[in-house]
Amino acid sequence: MKKNAYQKQVMEIYEFINEHLYFNRPDVEAKGERYNSATLLSLLTGLQKGKELIIGEPGLGKTTSAEFVCSLIYQFPLGVIWGSEVSGHPEQTEEKIVGRPDLGKLNRGEEDVVWSNFSQIPVKIVDEINRLPETKQSMILDGVDRGNWEYLNEMIINEEYCLFATANYQDGGTNTIIAPLVDRFDVMVESRYPGANLSFLIGKANRKDHVLRHTRYEKELHRILSSKAPYEKKIPKVEEVCNAFGEYVYETLGIKPLQKGERDQMRAEMDEIEFDLDASAFTRMLLAELSFCERYGQKRSLENCEEGCHYTGYLCHEIKNCASNRLPTSVKQYAQALAWLLEDSKVDIEHVKMVFPYALAHRIQWKDEILSQKERSKRDDPFPIFLAKEAVRTVSQRYREQSEHLKDALGVGSKIFQGGTLEPLEGDHPLYAEIKKDLDTRRT
Amino acid sequence: MKTSLSQKKGLINSTGKEGWVIRNPFEEFKTFTFQKADIPLDQIIQSAEVVMDQIRRGYEKLLEEEAKELVWMVQYNTIIKAYEVAENHVREIDYSAEDIEDFCFALENTQKIPYLIPGPAGLYISALCNYAKEEEILLKLSELKTEINLIGFRLPKGKRLVIEGDAGDFTGIGLEGGELVVEGNTKNWTGAGMRSGKILVKKNIGLHTGEWMMGGEIYVGGRIRGLGNIVEGKVFERDKLVYPGKARHPNLYY
Repeated sequence: MKKNAYQKQVMEIYEFINEHLYFNRPDVEAKGERYNSATLLSLLTGLQKGKELIIGEPGLGKTTSAEFVCSLIYQFPLGVIWGSEVSGHPEQTEEKIVGRPDLGKLNRGEEDVVWSNFSQIPVKIVDEINRLPETKQSMILDGVDRGNWEYLNEMIINEEYCLFATANYQDGGTNTIIAPLVDRFDVMVESRYPGANLSFLIGKANRKDHVLRHTRYEKELHRILSSKAPYEKKIPKVEEVCNAFGEYVYETLGIKPLQKGERDQMRAEMDEIEFDLDASAFTRMLLAELSFCERYGQKRSLENCEEGCHYTGYLCHEIKNCASNRLPTSVKQYAQALAWLLEDSKVDIEHVKMVFPYALAHRIQWKDEILSQKERSKRDDPFPIFLAKEAVRTVSQRYREQSEHLKDALGVGSKIFQGGTLEPLEGDHPLYAEIKKDLDTRRT
Repeated sequence: MKTSLSQKKGLINSTGKEGWVIRNPFEEFKTFTFQKADIPLDQIIQSAEVVMDQIRRGYEKLLEEEAKELVWMVQYNTIIKAYEVAENHVREIDYSAEDIEDFCFALENTQKIPYLIPGPAGLYISALCNYAKEEEILLKLSELKTEINLIGFRLPKGKRLVIEGDAGDFTGIGLEGGELVVEGNTKNWTGAGMRSGKILVKKNIGLHTGEWMMGGEIYVGGRIRGLGNIVEGKVFERDKLVYPGKARHPNLYY
């Protein structure tokens, strides 16, 4: 395999989707190139086994974009993806989402589970997740988080899976997505209106999804998935058919979907890409502002920080809750994937700046005064993504001014940690206080 | 025994190769060496300060050499000598037209330059203008409380010096082909001894205008209080040629 050939393969998929399947405008910049955030992040989600929440108005391609990406990254014909999608509605049950008892066996007094396609295939799409009542959202928490699907004391574990969930904006029929579920999504992105001209083309074009359909393979896959064979034995068979579908796509469309081995290889390559010092220090700076509270030790959503606090100018004063540990994990995962895709040898601050707002937007709760202050601002993004982008931009300005001193403080921290007799560096940013806390813990 | 047990299991072993290691959360920064980042604004301010110091030192030396008692008499010899001293200092400084303007204000406003003697200061500023890289220099001196004498001394051909505000006595004397524009008034002896070039005074001009001028032109937008003994050259008052022309008695008040 030629060096960087995988990146080109993935870029070809990105371009194919943008040019033929999911018309949209580029709305985000990475390293001087402009991309469409929905397609790019969906692609990274598919590659990195991530979880993406896609928001947007009805009919603007939220589900469609995810379906195309999944079909090309995981080599599944669209028919199979449609057949395994879970749609959010109040009457949804565990039996439809996860699995049901094998009624034939149950009649004979035996317990066995018939697993749903959703729980079995690596591509999981939940349509309109916020139409699931809050009580039923918790049903998919574990599956979403770890790929463990349990039913009747039986369990299957997905080794490789990615999840796409779509959500409409709030209206009469929607529920809020419960906080623990929201936090499990790595990124949130908006599927946007492509503009009148592109939209007009979509209307004119005939059905374009047929290019990713294949009735015979779809039937074959349905047959394998509904067979009684153990889950572990089904997977290689599924892969076989998927590879055959991948070949078919390559022959007919000229783009090469990714095989399992290739996906694993890509992930291994992404995993090896390290953060450079600036990317690491900048991420730490953001995390410090999103979790620090001088008065109460850390941010907690039930505690309101005081007016007149020394750290009033930082993000910690504008938010209610604390950044979860999943936030840095998501940022790392997506920044590594982006750096890999752009053929960079290290994750740098530009990669972090691009992915961070999308990993943050759904996780952070802003104080009411901040919301009312900024809700009328002129913007191009949905409000939560706009706020997250603003926050990252503000911290990035701060980082530009303080980067050397901050890195020095972290360097001195390292020396003290290894037993050096130095004093931690002083500074105004919450990160300096966090460094001190870590060193104090070490000393005691 | 507790210690030996923990060591055996390798539970707490911050430096060992096996077992649990308390991770240094700052590990990746251990080799970072601090380099002071000079942001462009800092550099600009810093370099401007360095230049201003050099200009100031040159002026102080000029005063030390030429105005020891803080007294300076305007005489042909003292002017020539002081200008030579000023030239020698100025030639060694790398400055811009903006620095000249800054120096004019520093003359009045900073504690670092304690005395403004209008004569030497004017010669020094003239030397700065004459040796500046820019062909056109604008000095906004209208806010300055003191009128500086001798400005535009020996302004060479190809240079254009514009003064916003008033200038003092001996403005543009010995002009050597340059163009001197004064947006306000000038005082006595303007353009005295000039050889060639052009002086444009937008408002009024004092006595002895063009005394011993050998060539060039003086244009006055307002009124001329009095002409000097002109050898050669032209003087215009409100677009009207007043020299050569109807003989007007030098220094006649009118």
